[in-house]
Amino acid sequence: MHREAAAVAERPETMAARTVLSVENLVVGYPVDGRMVKPVDGLSFKVHEREVVGLIGDAGSGKSTAALALLGLARPPGKILGGRVEFDGRDLLKLPEAEIRAIRGRDIGIIVQNPRSSLNPMLRIGKQIGYAYEAHNQASGTEVRRKVIEMLRMVGINDPESRAEAYAHELSGGMAQRALIAMALSSKPKLLIADEPTSGLDVTIQAQFLDEMWNTVQKTGSAILLITQELGTLANYCDRVLVLHEGRIVEDAPVRQFFANPQHPYSQQILKLQRERGHSLGLPPVEAGTRPLLATTDLRKTFAVRHTKKLIQAVDKVSLTIGRGETLGLVGESGSGKTTVGRCMLRLLEPSSGSVVFDGEDLVKLPPNDMRRYRSKLQIVFQDPFDSLNPRWSIRRILTEPLDLHTKLSTADKRRRAEELMDLVDLDRALLDRRPRGLGAGALQRINIARALACNPEFIVLDEPTSVLSPRARVGLIELLVRLQKELGISYLFISHDLTTVRYLCHKVSVMYLGQIVETGTVEQVFSKPRHPYSQALLSAHLFPDPTNRRVDSVIPAALEGEIPSPIDLPHGCYLASRCPHVVEACRATPQALEPLEGGQSVRCWRAVAGEIQAFGGAHA
Amino acid sequence: MSSQHTLETADMLPRRRRDWLFGLGLTIVVIVVALAVVGPYIGPYDPTLTTPNVSVPPPSLAEVPGLFSAWISGTLEAPPHWMGTDASGFDVFSRVIAAPRTDLVIALVANGLSLVIGVFLGLIAGYYRNAATEFMMRVSDVMQSFPVFISAMVLVALAGRSTTNIVIALAFVYTPIYVRLTRAEVMSQKVRGFVEAARALGNTELNIAIRHVLPNSLTPALIQASVTIGFAILLTAGLSFVGAGVRPPTPEWGLMISTGANQIILGEWWPSVFPGIAISLTVFGFAVLGNALERRYDAS
Amino acid sequence: MLFRYISKRFAVGLLQLIGLTIAVFFLIRLLPADPVSRLVGMNASPEAYAQAAKQLGVDRPLLAQLATYLGFQPEIAPGLLQGSLGVSWVTGTPVTAEIAAYLPVTLELVTLSFILALAVAVPIGMFGALNPGGKADKGVFVYSLFAGSQPEFWWGLLFVYLFFFTLGIAPAPLGRLSPMSSPPDVVTGFMTIDSLIAGQFDLFVEALHHLMLPVFTMAFILSGPIIKMVRQNMARALQSDFVLYANCAGLPKRRVAGYALRAAMAPSMTLIGILYGFMLSGAVLTESVFSLGGIGQYAINAVLNYDYPAIQAVVLVITAISLVVYLALDLIHAAIDPRIAF
Repeated sequence: MHREAAAVAERPETMAARTVLSVENLVVGYPVDGRMVKPVDGLSFKVHEREVVGLIGDAGSGKSTAALALLGLARPPGKILGGRVEFDGRDLLKLPEAEIRAIRGRDIGIIVQNPRSSLNPMLRIGKQIGYAYEAHNQASGTEVRRKVIEMLRMVGINDPESRAEAYAHELSGGMAQRALIAMALSSKPKLLIADEPTSGLDVTIQAQFLDEMWNTVQKTGSAILLITQELGTLANYCDRVLVLHEGRIVEDAPVRQFFANPQHPYSQQILKLQRERGHSLGLPPVEAGTRPLLATTDLRKTFAVRHTKKLIQAVDKVSLTIGRGETLGLVGESGSGKTTVGRCMLRLLEPSSGSVVFDGEDLVKLPPNDMRRYRSKLQIVFQDPFDSLNPRWSIRRILTEPLDLHTKLSTADKRRRAEELMDLVDLDRALLDRRPRGLGAGALQRINIARALACNPEFIVLDEPTSVLSPRARVGLIELLVRLQKELGISYLFISHDLTTVRYLCHKVSVMYLGQIVETGTVEQVFSKPRHPYSQALLSAHLFPDPTNRRVDSVIPAALEGEIPSPIDLPHGCYLASRCPHVVEACRATPQALEPLEGGQSVRCWRAVAGEIQAFGGAHA
Repeated sequence: MSSQHTLETADMLPRRRRDWLFGLGLTIVVIVVALAVVGPYIGPYDPTLTTPNVSVPPPSLAEVPGLFSAWISGTLEAPPHWMGTDASGFDVFSRVIAAPRTDLVIALVANGLSLVIGVFLGLIAGYYRNAATEFMMRVSDVMQSFPVFISAMVLVALAGRSTTNIVIALAFVYTPIYVRLTRAEVMSQKVRGFVEAARALGNTELNIAIRHVLPNSLTPALIQASVTIGFAILLTAGLSFVGAGVRPPTPEWGLMISTGANQIILGEWWPSVFPGIAISLTVFGFAVLGNALERRYDAS
Repeated sequence: MLFRYISKRFAVGLLQLIGLTIAVFFLIRLLPADPVSRLVGMNASPEAYAQAAKQLGVDRPLLAQLATYLGFQPEIAPGLLQGSLGVSWVTGTPVTAEIAAYLPVTLELVTLSFILALAVAVPIGMFGALNPGGKADKGVFVYSLFAGSQPEFWWGLLFVYLFFFTLGIAPAPLGRLSPMSSPPDVVTGFMTIDSLIAGQFDLFVEALHHLMLPVFTMAFILSGPIIKMVRQNMARALQSDFVLYANCAGLPKRRVAGYALRAAMAPSMTLIGILYGFMLSGAVLTESVFSLGGIGQYAINAVLNYDYPAIQAVVLVITAISLVVYLALDLIHAAIDPRIAF
């Protein structure tokens, strides 16, 4: 996607634009146990014509509630309790039902974070888009139909005629989100509210989707209110930032100013890492030349496809090493097999072949009882903190469970250890007697880490531990992980799709695609000089939180084409061949091997090894 | 994502305002349970012996206070028949309050039995999926497709009309429900993160099944039990009503309604109406409690 | 696709019925009842007893009896494979014929009760869902809990006392027509339909009059779970993301209501099927209060007389009907909701 310089000059922030939306003192309440809880409490802000305004806030800060309230809606049994929502000079909250219905969808479009459940599961999507268009425009049946196809094509759906016949459950998340945006933009609204439109989408699709949304809106001349939890999205697409905290706006600043000089303590907290540390957190150095703590060799994992003899190749000959006190980042899109690698290392999934040597012992060969004893040394923290703690147990019981299993400590010693663990992860000891329910994601994830630390492990698999956290909790967790490594000398395997976090936390990085490692190197090497075309695509699609180098202002290098091949029938040659911009005939025929380059970097691409692919320098090194 | 968490908590709110209903249900259930313990001993007459007074109507409401004070002061020769007597001379009141001993005990024991067996089998079937447990589920399917009332009637009538046989028959028809519910819940719980975390900590599979999966899979079965107790009482009474339940003169609500049924066309309403009110309220009480549990579960 | 789905469901249902048949067959024979002495009397001579046992065929090994029942030995007696459910041990008539006479009574009762219950309960449930939290909604909710937990036989008696004895507006609970009237020719077995076919409108009215109280009784009990279900499904649909989004997109109110209604109807189908099966079996009680002579009363007689072929037949027929109803409702469900794949 190339954007012309002219578009940059037209940036709305430079114009004294007309106000499209003006919100004053908006309050939304939900009755809980007889009293009103107000997720939105005194919200005021403005959106100008053709402006892209970012709204950021923690989970539970009232973002989604606010988005609905701008349309005069609240999810039952919630109610809008007061305030003004002025749109085009009229207070929407005072309009009669029929008039506000006419404005919804025609003048203000909205896309939400759960696109598939927001589409009617019982109607074909073409029909639904048509209904939305009909509601606001006089049109004949064939005109509606033509409009639907046109909209689907505009939001980047291939073969719109047949996609229009699909039901929501037949669409992927990205596809459903596009259908929703087609519906939202069909009547050319003056304002588009996008409520975390890319949550649940893969990195590469996320950027593509936001690009398309940005482009489409540039064409229709709409303003956007972009609600997000991602600093990267904010930095790359927004002109102005609103910070929502405890139901009201606590900061309102142009994007560069916000990143350079945040005013409110909450803003300062979420930007802490960027501001204090730049790109690196000063990781503890790793002793060179010693024997690695953990090494996998040719690790493979296949799954049988039900009712067939076919196999899914989830992990294909993965060899990696992790030294003492070192963090290896494992990155890739969903379906790349990175999570399976982590599970196989701990034998939570049995590897189909290969070895996992930990401290000189091949774990794969251990009988189950011996493996169980080893588990105190190798731990894991899962992605979803809500799901990974037994909801019926107190925090204390959760933290002492590993001690029961692996130590012969007295009850008093176990209690003491539980308290120590709480201190270690910066949690209040008073929480020990509570159950997980009601605690926030950040606190729960710290408890998961504390439990993993209980028996002094040497190695922890961190499986996307920050991905469901809100911005502030994420910053805290990253700092905690670095501190623990410094104090305890633990090694991590950090599995993530978030390259920003990987860069903070990891010494080395391996990039996975379709079960294979396609590139390995130090963080410096891979981030500043990715050699494999897939690594390059991944880095170029990542939204780094840097408003001085915005995606919408620069020329984006060619993205990958097409979709990921099915892991059941993999191509014979290079797995990326069908999508690679650098593909030549030889790629399709030759299976690729991971070849070492100078400086310890290695890459699975013969053209890159031969120096035929330019090292890509566009990423934020 | 977490803004949805707050929304979901908001959804549970009507609970508090229905608290009076919950209180009513709880009161009814507590009274019935108390009567199941002491009911047979506190009535003015022996619930299993006839009196010479046949088909005595209950006192009118206006007479009740006077009668009551007379009874308290001991000026009456015999205690009054508060709910009249039936055609055989049984004191209806004494039998109505003695009946929970039969009805509730059958319902509770039958439910307890099918709950324990059903949860145990459901845990095995859900945690260990293999040919044996699949076969078990097919058997359970067949059992569940039996028409409930008729099966219970057949079992009790052919096995002999005793309390034990009613309990067994009820347990038979209810067990597959618990198997299915527990199995489904076990299957959804065993793939949750905390189970994998328990494995990563070094628990044995048995340990995981019993300590982690089972406690988290009990809720649907327990909710079902609270509702099923009420239905078991209805079923017990229904069986007696058609002559396939407990034998007379056991004090049992369904049997009492049944003996009174022939008189009702003649206008003798009280032998049937009072036990009916008792069943009606009791089962309603259990339904309210069950519903409250269900709502709490849905909210979490 | 559809045809394959239906045939698959039939195949599974058939297997289930076979399993059920065998289970019932053994189950009733394992129980300690003695049908022979019930038939010949306690004091019968051993010879008479042996004679009766031979006549009923219960002197033969169990497996041989089963083989005959299933129809593998048509030379001894026709069995299931020949479309025969055996001969009643009490009346000596083929069970198939008896079921054909009794079943329509129950189907008529249950079906009419369902129609009435749905007609009343669906609007009430929707009304509750559309006015959540209000006094009316609370009333609807308490009513649904109450009605769903009531002993129908007692309410039947209460209605009889009230409407027959006290008010005199209902007929005596003694059958489908008054003893004076002669029934119309049997075509469908449904008294209401047969009387219309015979052109006897007075009989039609009389049949309805006699059905009034039993249908009220069952519809009252049924209305509880139906209201509860409609109210819950409708409330859930109204809170769903896609209804919210339809409002966000500014769709007309009528269209949004249509979305919600359709979404609420789909999951209701399963429960309606289960209720129908449950009522088919539970009609026993209402039938016996009003002496209607349906399959339920037939079942009571069979059970109390240890009439094994009749018992087996009742269980089998009721289960088979339930399975067909489940299938039909699943098909409707799938027609409403495309997510249900065949």
